[in-house]
Amino acid sequence: MRRGDMQGVCGEGERRVKALLPAMVVGCVLMGIRAKVSVYDALIRGAKEGLTTLVQMAPCLCAVMMAVALLRETGLMDAMSALLEPVFSRIGIPREAAPLVLLRPLSGSAALAAVRQVMEQTGADSRASRLCCVICGASETVFFTGSLYLGAAGVKKSRYAVFAALTAYAAGVLAAAMMV
Amino acid sequence: MNGLFCAMLLAGTLYAAATGRLDAAQHALLSGGGEAMTLLLELAGAYAFFGGMMGILRECGAADALARALKKPLSRLFRFAPGEEAALSEISLNLSANMLGMGGAATPAGMTAMRKMARANGNDGRASDAMILFLVINTSSVQLLPTTMIALRAQAGAANPTDIVAPVLAATTVSTICGAAICRAFAARGKGV
Repeated sequence: MRRGDMQGVCGEGERRVKALLPAMVVGCVLMGIRAKVSVYDALIRGAKEGLTTLVQMAPCLCAVMMAVALLRETGLMDAMSALLEPVFSRIGIPREAAPLVLLRPLSGSAALAAVRQVMEQTGADSRASRLCCVICGASETVFFTGSLYLGAAGVKKSRYAVFAALTAYAAGVLAAAMMV
Repeated sequence: MNGLFCAMLLAGTLYAAATGRLDAAQHALLSGGGEAMTLLLELAGAYAFFGGMMGILRECGAADALARALKKPLSRLFRFAPGEEAALSEISLNLSANMLGMGGAATPAGMTAMRKMARANGNDGRASDAMILFLVINTSSVQLLPTTMIALRAQAGAANPTDIVAPVLAATTVSTICGAAICRAFAARGKGV
């Protein structure tokens, strides 16, 4: 019943949501004109940065998607999801989304591969797919960011940092499972 | 990451051997990389679009304006140890760039902020309360627009790729508030001892 309600809300807001990116374009262009920057050149420089990010991701994504395909094709991922189902179903997480919830804090590429996997399995608009997207969009690669920043500061004793970061992630997952 | 990757490969191959599905394993190993390249090509247009929009915002000085606006609330949120407040401008720059999805600008500022705070504590190799709070806010994600997920949904043929924006914002707000509250509780306990 709760989910039905949420879908009703989504239906009403649908037109506004569809206008989001066009509105962003208008906003950015107007801001650019007002600040007297060359919108075209700024856009090209930004696009180059976006595409560079993508190219830098390529080797990682190839490696990780190979590993994820291996787990999927051999059936190990299904076996693991089935094992975790009793715990995850209690907090409202469908079994297809279980690998993503575990992989997300560890690796951004693996999370991306896992979300795509769920989308192919259950369709782009299934609850599992939407939940995966919300969890992924609302979190970061905790261990990567953590080791980067703590390493930069030469930290050896991280105290409660990992605990706090992972608890915050769990809270985000729970919130997502309640809303989607 | 290395451990995780090795575990995935070994577990997958051994499981395949045990269940007699080595042909499936072979096929997966050869086709997985190809799937990744297809995905990258399909995401490229959206990445260029979002990158371009962020490029315009950046050259308008949006990140700097946001950083200025964030400074005051951040100085209240963070309980700096003496000397650590020197990192405030990098902290606000890092968070504002992250909110706008400019990872390229956010990371260097964040690393400088951490180094400045470490120096204020005499580089003793121990994470201070402010350093941990900054890290936790960063790992709980503050990005306003989940661009990669929008791109992924569009590529998979979702009816409305942007309809996840509101739940993402709500979930990330919950996780950030929860992280900050935990940090504050630990910091208060640490001072009591």
